[in-house]
Amino acid sequence: MKWQLYAIDHFRKCETLLLRLVVKNTNGRSPMRKISISPRTAIVIASVMLGGQLAQAQEGKPVSGGAITWGVATEPSCFDPHRASQQAAFFVARNYIDSLVGKKTDGSFAPWLATEWSISPDGKEYTYKLREDVVFHDGEKFDAAAVKANYDFVKKPENATNAVALLQYFDRAEVVSPYVVKLILTQPDSTFLESTSNVKLGIISPKALAKGDLCGGGPLLAGSGPFVFERYSRGQSAVFVRNKDYKWGPGYAAHTGPAYLDRVTLRFLPEAAVRAGALTSGQVDLIEGVQPTDVALFADQAEFKLLTGPSGASTSFTFNINYTIPPADDVRVRRALRDGFDLEPLVKQVYLGTVPRAWSIIGPANPAYNKALVGAWGNNIAGANKLLDEAGWTGRDSEGFRTKNGVRLKIDVGYPQPYVRDNREVLIQGIQAALRKNIGFDLNLRIITAGEYAKNNANGNWTIYPNTDNPSDPARELWDMLGSKGFLYSNIANPDPQITGLIDEALRSTDVAKKRALTDEIQKLGVDQAFIVPMFAPSWFLAAKNNVNGLSFEAGLDSPSSAYDFWLAK
Amino acid sequence: MWSRIISRLLTSLVVAWASVTAAFLALHALPGRIQDILAGDLEYPGLREAIAAEWGLDRSLPAQYLDFLLRILQGDFGTSYVLRQPVTEVVGSQLMPTVQLALLGGILAVIIAIALALLTAGRGRISRQIASFLELVFASTPVFWLGILLLMAFSFTLRWFPVSGASGWQSIVLPSLTLALPTAGLLAQVLREAMEKTLDQPFVTTVRSRGVGELVIRARHVLRHALLPAVTLGGWLIGGLLGGAVITEKVFGRPGLGTVTLGAVLTHDVPVVLAVVLLAAFIHVAASTLLDILYLLIDPRLRAQ
Amino acid sequence: MNIQTRPLADLSVALDPQVNPPGAVEPVTTAAVIAPRLLSPGLAISLAFLFVLLLAAAFPRAFTQFDPLIGDYALGLKPPSWKHLFGTDRLGRDVFARTIHGTRYSLLIGLGGMAISLAFGIVLGILAGQRNRFLDEATSRVFDVLSSFPGVLLAMLVVTFLGQGMLNIAIAVGIAGIPKFGRVIRAQTQLVRDADYVTHAVVYGLGRWQIFIRHVLPNVLVAVPVIATVYIGNTILAVSGLSFLGLGPQPPTPEWGVMLAESRDVLRVAWWPGVFPGLAITLTVIAFTLVGNAIQKRFEGRLA
Repeated sequence: MKWQLYAIDHFRKCETLLLRLVVKNTNGRSPMRKISISPRTAIVIASVMLGGQLAQAQEGKPVSGGAITWGVATEPSCFDPHRASQQAAFFVARNYIDSLVGKKTDGSFAPWLATEWSISPDGKEYTYKLREDVVFHDGEKFDAAAVKANYDFVKKPENATNAVALLQYFDRAEVVSPYVVKLILTQPDSTFLESTSNVKLGIISPKALAKGDLCGGGPLLAGSGPFVFERYSRGQSAVFVRNKDYKWGPGYAAHTGPAYLDRVTLRFLPEAAVRAGALTSGQVDLIEGVQPTDVALFADQAEFKLLTGPSGASTSFTFNINYTIPPADDVRVRRALRDGFDLEPLVKQVYLGTVPRAWSIIGPANPAYNKALVGAWGNNIAGANKLLDEAGWTGRDSEGFRTKNGVRLKIDVGYPQPYVRDNREVLIQGIQAALRKNIGFDLNLRIITAGEYAKNNANGNWTIYPNTDNPSDPARELWDMLGSKGFLYSNIANPDPQITGLIDEALRSTDVAKKRALTDEIQKLGVDQAFIVPMFAPSWFLAAKNNVNGLSFEAGLDSPSSAYDFWLAK
Repeated sequence: MWSRIISRLLTSLVVAWASVTAAFLALHALPGRIQDILAGDLEYPGLREAIAAEWGLDRSLPAQYLDFLLRILQGDFGTSYVLRQPVTEVVGSQLMPTVQLALLGGILAVIIAIALALLTAGRGRISRQIASFLELVFASTPVFWLGILLLMAFSFTLRWFPVSGASGWQSIVLPSLTLALPTAGLLAQVLREAMEKTLDQPFVTTVRSRGVGELVIRARHVLRHALLPAVTLGGWLIGGLLGGAVITEKVFGRPGLGTVTLGAVLTHDVPVVLAVVLLAAFIHVAASTLLDILYLLIDPRLRAQ
Repeated sequence: MNIQTRPLADLSVALDPQVNPPGAVEPVTTAAVIAPRLLSPGLAISLAFLFVLLLAAAFPRAFTQFDPLIGDYALGLKPPSWKHLFGTDRLGRDVFARTIHGTRYSLLIGLGGMAISLAFGIVLGILAGQRNRFLDEATSRVFDVLSSFPGVLLAMLVVTFLGQGMLNIAIAVGIAGIPKFGRVIRAQTQLVRDADYVTHAVVYGLGRWQIFIRHVLPNVLVAVPVIATVYIGNTILAVSGLSFLGLGPQPPTPEWGVMLAESRDVLRVAWWPGVFPGLAITLTVIAFTLVGNAIQKRFEGRLA
């Protein structure tokens, strides 16, 4: 087990019982996240294996029936997994979308829509044997042709899907027999199996695909998942009802057969205080995105439980710096930005100690995390000032910012509004203040529209992009952020050849040890050159009423799991 | 009197028509192509062409204008290209929670104002000063701050009401109170001054001499007179409530037009914002017309002319 | 049409059907109608408060040693103390310093918005106040249309067109305020137009422009500072509302509305960031209202 999640549960009556069941993780780091917990209340801190077997031992035997309302922070601007781009949209999609394979907590893969799969010796052909009993929500049969239709759809440029990033080396799909499909690549891709487990490449009914825009959700968006997307009311809610015929759950799930719950209603509650209040007043059963300031509200109450999910798959929250645009084209300026402030106390203050600061681009719970970066950079204000002096930023303007030839040392952080969540804009404001005070650097936070961001990205003239990469294989994540055709650098003429070369090599490398060495090297180079400044390792905070059981996190998404395993105690 | 009512109706129609025209003119007066303005911050292949086709941008300006008028007359506000949904659907699905909130806020405001006026008009100096100070404070307090204060007091500290949501009557108490208080502050002042003027009138002395109790005099006779000038404030009140509802929804995280409008403003979704603004204007105009006609009907002094 | 018993002296302009057609009725300002009863101690305190406010806007650093943008984040969310009078926010910034520095933004945007309302209101109002029936009808309808849109929503439409930012919300609030000013100026123009001294000037055979420049205009403009003081409170309220919605200055600008929006996430654990900026807005609006009403009373002889 590579990482754990911690269920903080309360025994209503056992006032003095303090039980700690901490399963040590493999690399020996303390897995516990500190959460302020009142010593008055008896608490069970249980480290629960993903999939929730341990949790179930405590929670009792699951029962079917009931409905829950789930308060979520981000209303997805698109429900179609092929097109969606917000991380918060993907765990929602998991309720109605299945994938060919499922990613387990240990990083291996479990059968799902495919019962078995094989990879050709040259690493260019992936053959999947499919289940024969799967039916889409619209009544269509699932088969090899449906898989081909989906992969063809995503690959087609005019469909402008976001998922196409995962199909960089995908060439074509072949229907070998009605229930055997072969996916053929142009060159070996060490990340491909993981990509086929990704919800972005989830399988939608071909009939639905042909209907055009599925972003608005509803019954039109027919997948094969444990819930049917019944209705979406903009600004208010999305309703999913149980798929009674469901018997093809992922191999990593805690049970088989249909979901326990009859109905799941997502209520979109963007205000954190409102979300927490909705749970305390009983208007919803479960919320995600619990504010650090609200943690005590649930950790202290007998009738609630709080779960925090570590970031095993995703990257850290990072500043991605466009190193081709002045003044950030000077490595000294980038390094000064990276080292000109003390990150640790800032993260601690904003998140009240609930999340750790980051050292690398890849998150600390990810197997590919480069531990050598711990302590290797940051908080060197004197050094940062020296670097800027050397780089010629020696003047000062009336507001105390450094200048060179009368131009202020200023870089914009363009944060697209739909992606702002989790107090990240507050953290950036803290960095902004520190950089100004410490080294006279004007880090200018701008909340921009999705459209402005899209334009900047298309022209390659974005400056700093605050990012947590959507989970995928580590090499694919690094490629996405720093690779020559990833989402940030695809429109930039001359990305750094050294790092893009290493990334391409990692993508091709099917040798595990070699790939690991390469991803380590890429992380080191990315931070050393300050192409990327890691900030913290994001976590998901779930709070629920005590009778909501079976909560867990999904390894492949690094987010709350679908409601498939959820059940309500009577 | 009827000619007066008809002319009032005509004026309202002209204003409604003029507001649609103003919207059309504003759209065309803006720098940049209409396609780009209407597209919001979105960009996908074929989008500009679709907009040009829907709005008939290849035709002459008068033809486009007539088309625009006709479509709005039919209740068709076009398509939100950002949300990829007809605007009528977007707005329609959000209308009820906002109307509910605005109505409840309005009713509460009127009740509070009447109560304050009844209790304090023509009474001792101290109580009147306290009342007018309270009213001044209410009228000077931003709606959203009032909301924040009520949240802190009644949700976080006392836990009497839930913070959020559109479910259950409890969840609408604080938002409607938030919306009502600033309006009530002003309304109470107007009412009290009117009542005080009325209390000085001879007919009050007459009624009083018949031995009618003070409360009855106030509630039955004086208030009725005093309500008349307050009715003229009705139009303004409704406009304020609709605008205030948008902000109140934001504070309490309630679904409704406010959330949708704010989202539309941030994504430059012009069709949605335009529809909401026009709709609010229509409601405003219709309501104030109705009130004015009502005013004409109930005030005999106006009828006589 | 004339109602014999005008119940409200203070509302006489706003509610006079001669000045405002029915349905277009708006009180002078939300708060302005209310104040005149309050006694002069209130006025004195208000004047003193506004004086301090202006000083704070001009020389914020004289009031506080702390930087409004830079805080010590080890000292985040500390309750009010002698050192930090209003406590600190979650990034350790001094709330008192931010409130003081915020004065400048809130006043400036409010004044900017009002300047726009005034400029258009004066021109349109004077046009409407001429003896030309067509001009009067046309401009009055413009006022009707503008005021048929609820202020907040009209401002939001303007921001949709122009984008977020300080200047743009000033413009937005300014446009929404045009009809209020316009109507008052129109009424004032009509009064002056019909006043004896103007009639005498006509009798003396002065030219139209001469009369307008020498007699009408000065007497109309004399009303401007009065209305301006009465209105500024409302403009400040509107601006803070738009800022709260995130349409105005962006964080970390210490604008009052922005600060209140930021405070919401920590309200459960810290009341101070959510209280003091709001208090600043309310007190400012009250002070302006009281002073405005006092000025209005003094000028009553020369105004409508």
